[in-house]
Amino acid sequence: MTRTPLIRRPDVIAVLSCLAVLTLGATLMAEAGLISTSFVKTLGKTLCLCLAAVAMDLVWGYTGILSLGHMAFFGIGGYAIGMWLMRARTEDVVAAQLAQRPLPPTPAEVDQAAATQIFGVVGSDTFPWMWVFADMLWVQLLAVVLVPGLLALVFGWLAFRSRVTGVYLSILTQAGTLALSLWLFQNDSGLRGNNGLSGLQNIPGLTHVPQSTLSLWFLWASAAALGGFYVLARWTVAARFGSALRAIRDDEARLRFLGYDVEGFKLVVFTGTSMACGVAGALYYPQAGIVNPAEIAPIASIYLAVWVAIGGRGHLWGAILGAAAVSLLSSWFTGGGAPDIDLGVYVIRWTDWWLVLLGLGFVAVTLLAPQGLAGLVLRLARRRPEAPARTLEAARAEPGE
Amino acid sequence: MSALLEVSGVSKSFDGFKAIDGLSFAIGEPEMRAVIGPNGAGKTTFMDLVTGKTRPDSGTIRWGERILDLTRLSESRIAREGIGRKFQKPTVFEDQSVWENLALALRAVRRPLRVLARAGADPERIPALAADVGLKGALDRRAGELSHGQKQWLEIGMLLASEPRLLLVDEPAAGMTPSEREKTTTILREAAKTRAVVVVEHDMEFVRRLNCRVTVLHEGRVLAEGSLDHVTADPQVIDVYLGRG
Amino acid sequence: MTLILRLALALMLLGPGPVLAQDLQPALQAEAERVERASRRHVEEVLETLAANGSPNLQPFLEAWQDKGVVRAEDGLFYYGQREGDVWALTDIDSGAEAGTVDRRAARQLKPNAGVRGVIAAALVQFQLSDPRPGARRAALASLERDPDAALLPALRASIEDEPDPAIRALKTDLERRLTARFGEDPAARIAAIDRLGASVQDRAVLSRILATDRIVAEGGAAPEGAIVAGPSDLDEAERLALLVEAGLAPAPVTRMARDMALTVAITDGMVAGRPVATLESEAARWEAYEALAAGGAARPRPAEAAIAEALASHAVLDIYREADAGVIAAAEAASAAQSARLARHGAVDLGLDALSLASIYFLAAIGLAVTFGVMGVINMAHGEFIMIGAYTGYVVQTIIPDYTLSLIVALPLAFCTAGLAGVALERLVIRHLMHRPLETLLATFGISVALQQIAKNVFGTQARPLTSPDWLAGSWIISDAISISWIRVAIFVLALVFLAAIVALLRRTRLGLEVRAVTQNPGMAASMGIDPGRIGMLTFGLGSGIAGVAGVAIGLYAQVTSEMGAGYIVQSFMTVVVGGVGSVFGTLAGAGLIGGLQKGIEWLNPSNTLAAQTFMILFIIAFIQIRPRGIVPQKGRFAQ
Repeated sequence: MTRTPLIRRPDVIAVLSCLAVLTLGATLMAEAGLISTSFVKTLGKTLCLCLAAVAMDLVWGYTGILSLGHMAFFGIGGYAIGMWLMRARTEDVVAAQLAQRPLPPTPAEVDQAAATQIFGVVGSDTFPWMWVFADMLWVQLLAVVLVPGLLALVFGWLAFRSRVTGVYLSILTQAGTLALSLWLFQNDSGLRGNNGLSGLQNIPGLTHVPQSTLSLWFLWASAAALGGFYVLARWTVAARFGSALRAIRDDEARLRFLGYDVEGFKLVVFTGTSMACGVAGALYYPQAGIVNPAEIAPIASIYLAVWVAIGGRGHLWGAILGAAAVSLLSSWFTGGGAPDIDLGVYVIRWTDWWLVLLGLGFVAVTLLAPQGLAGLVLRLARRRPEAPARTLEAARAEPGE
Repeated sequence: MSALLEVSGVSKSFDGFKAIDGLSFAIGEPEMRAVIGPNGAGKTTFMDLVTGKTRPDSGTIRWGERILDLTRLSESRIAREGIGRKFQKPTVFEDQSVWENLALALRAVRRPLRVLARAGADPERIPALAADVGLKGALDRRAGELSHGQKQWLEIGMLLASEPRLLLVDEPAAGMTPSEREKTTTILREAAKTRAVVVVEHDMEFVRRLNCRVTVLHEGRVLAEGSLDHVTADPQVIDVYLGRG
Repeated sequence: MTLILRLALALMLLGPGPVLAQDLQPALQAEAERVERASRRHVEEVLETLAANGSPNLQPFLEAWQDKGVVRAEDGLFYYGQREGDVWALTDIDSGAEAGTVDRRAARQLKPNAGVRGVIAAALVQFQLSDPRPGARRAALASLERDPDAALLPALRASIEDEPDPAIRALKTDLERRLTARFGEDPAARIAAIDRLGASVQDRAVLSRILATDRIVAEGGAAPEGAIVAGPSDLDEAERLALLVEAGLAPAPVTRMARDMALTVAITDGMVAGRPVATLESEAARWEAYEALAAGGAARPRPAEAAIAEALASHAVLDIYREADAGVIAAAEAASAAQSARLARHGAVDLGLDALSLASIYFLAAIGLAVTFGVMGVINMAHGEFIMIGAYTGYVVQTIIPDYTLSLIVALPLAFCTAGLAGVALERLVIRHLMHRPLETLLATFGISVALQQIAKNVFGTQARPLTSPDWLAGSWIISDAISISWIRVAIFVLALVFLAAIVALLRRTRLGLEVRAVTQNPGMAASMGIDPGRIGMLTFGLGSGIAGVAGVAIGLYAQVTSEMGAGYIVQSFMTVVVGGVGSVFGTLAGAGLIGGLQKGIEWLNPSNTLAAQTFMILFIIAFIQIRPRGIVPQKGRFAQ
């Protein structure tokens, strides 16, 4: 692609410049001590959630597959990188401890001690099979995209092949997600049961870098990932491919009679977005510090759908808007940032009532503003709140030869 | 002239109701054929069977020089083999522009990864196609905003864009004004010069204007076949149409 | 042990017949020294002598002796002594008359040691088996059961015939059979007793005692003369080697820990056995260094691998029966196998009952969802919260009406109404406005679900609230020692049947049912025939939600009421509906049966892990939908899609 008009699209410019302003501003303010490290981490985590939301918008807003399992892929990404973080870090710590002994430690001793340290909580002292490569960063980095991708491929192939659609498919993804989280909850799952993986904020080999600096690095990485994926997603939904996705959403049978292999398209989108979610998770959990099976429960994926719906489906930037607004508001309300309201007979504490507000607010958005925040923004910008129509010239300029 | 499509002895029943009962039908290339019959004669089910939407209980449907068995292929594969279908109710992608609708239909690679990699499809053909179906000025309009007749033509345009060898057209004239019907007839007859066209129609006047062989279906079987004058003189056909039609 | 036998015979002679009133004191005086300083060694002999005396006062004396309630006064006579401050209150052993008090130092208390007390206790059992008080006889049987003694078998047998209480007699007969099986005089009698053993826990314990084995190291691999081998032990090589080492039949290997210890001790100036310590960072390097140490005599040499292998090869570790009689073992093995088979059968029945009750719960939880899904084509994610609303209704009713039976009678219809009204409100306010947008309906109802859950949490708190069942529902229906089912589960089963019948009747026999079925099968056609789909939708939603409310009360009775209880059932309910086939009552029934049965079945295969069971169940369902995408009972017709 020599000439890409994609980069000149207003939404791409807006998203990329917002990200640039955000990272630069956050860096300067953090250096000046105006914002705390934990706030920088909150920002970074929010960007990762936005990335997952963009993926969700591709799969739901464009293709019409309401997946209630994409946060599971997000969690798997976290687990994949978490295995390396936890193992490498524990081995460093253990090796330092064993070095105090009169005899220098053997690799087997380090292994054994690290395994005991990690799996002692679930009553084991050996690394399970899936940890065989956990001390090799590149393998785990591959796993971040390949494991979600493979799971999505198998699940999607089974589900799409038998023409499971609509609410059935949603229920099926939800069930699959539940199965995965229940399996992870077991102590002998090999991933520390409900303890999950912890201490992920400590990056092996970078222990000398203070968390305040690390948090900024992760903020940049998250912003870069989000920006990159946004451009990729925008490129994907441009031209005939995006047109086919929206056609699947609106009338997949009709598209089939045009000769399109609808299942194949769904599979590509489902698998691709699952990998994007894996990457988002791999960036998110080192900032969160801990990943456990509760993060994979179906409810997390439903919230992802809620963010996208609030932000506005079918506009990639709407998903970012929704995810950022709801997750930041959520941490403000639940973190005790919002002032309590004293009604005289009853004090509304937002830590208790935020979920009620969110739930009902979401119902209201669905009923009254199906286009979500993006619809509002577009209306304010005096434009039609719908998929941007393409001009002949723009379409010709598309690299579609 | 060997047959392009050959349906032989096909039966299909829904919960005991025989929608198609031992139907045989063949069409060559190029040829125009009208299929008529009273309600419930099995016209739509016949199209569903050919396009793979419904699988027959028995019988075979053979296609093309390689004699493929269509009963084993998926809908999308059948479409890629060159069978295009226009539905009774105009079905276009209402949320997308006329341009996008036509671009989707253009004859080009259909494999998802190839499509993603921008392979195939020559967008230069789109304005010409739009002009053919009288939508030249409406390329950027949302399909949902078009009038009923314009949607019908857009759908025909999409059919033509995919350059099928066999066109299945279900009641194209329904809900059209006389001048629109005239235009539709012209488009169909033009298309039939290079390919096979099967028109399912209710309206005898429209069929007469197509001026082609006619197959009469009744209770899932072929009742009569021949020119329109021939079949309308058939006492069985008269009985069916006057008695029940 | 012949002593006890004779003692028993003596007692039996004393038994019911006319008793020659013999005084015990002379006999005691004859053995005075050995009574006062009783030792484990002589006490049996002493007891024999005392029994030969035939005094009826022997039993109370033995009981008092055992309880340290006997003293010997300065006059050398034995009395029952009661300590009262600084004095002993004495009672004559034979007449039972008070014999005054003596200073605490003027009498010596008899303090039999534990061994002696044990012998006395065993002797006492025989008295107790024929004690006139039924409680004492039962206690004696229990004591004998706990601590079976071959010697007491004749006494037990003899006491059966005159046992007046049929229940105790049955106990005695059972115990006699068990004792005979273990200690019977000849193999034939034992085999006969084994064949008559039942399925009780005690009988099974007897079988396992008879089949007990010892683990021995067989030198040369052959079992010792006369021992009956149960089979080779299931130990792995390291465990066998440890046994051989213990028996001195194999050289002890040097453990890694011992090696590292030896190496650590030998460190001097950063060197071990001529090597720098820093080089010992692999197993191979450490062994090499250790062998160098051993060669220098500073450590025990490692035994040759060949010697260890030779020892392992030439000795076997065998499990041999403690029982010596092959016929008895065969009979016990056969009885044990029969018992296991019977247990397995009962276990299967029990599992079936469990599965049935789980299926009833799933059915109750899912049927409301099936009705609304079938009629309106929407998924109601808040369905689980209607279950919760029903359960909390039951809880509130219980706090107002303290009588559990009455409150339950009030709670069931009230829960139906509360949840039903909530459902109607949801339909009118939300779902109606999202017609033909099923995915958005799914998400909007999820929003409702989140809000309802949190409201419940804010109102009722996070801790679980109990919903107590009335007494007549408490406890279990025990069918055998392996089959039991709690009455609550039976009640839930009955409730599910009632609702099944009610819904089928409603759908098949009423005008409303006809309209509901019409809307389910073809909404467009139904509307054109004058049926108002909006009204039908509202009514079915109310009905479906109401049933969820009733299910909530039922579930609350056996689980606990929390704000999250609904969420736990929602996925299972969806699965039940999807597997069963949308819009079909019997489909839902089949789905509930399949899922309940499956879950219990998988739990049975892997009982330690219910989480894994649920995982596998969901995977099975995903696979099932591959095969039957429209469920067990699919909707029919051309418009089914």
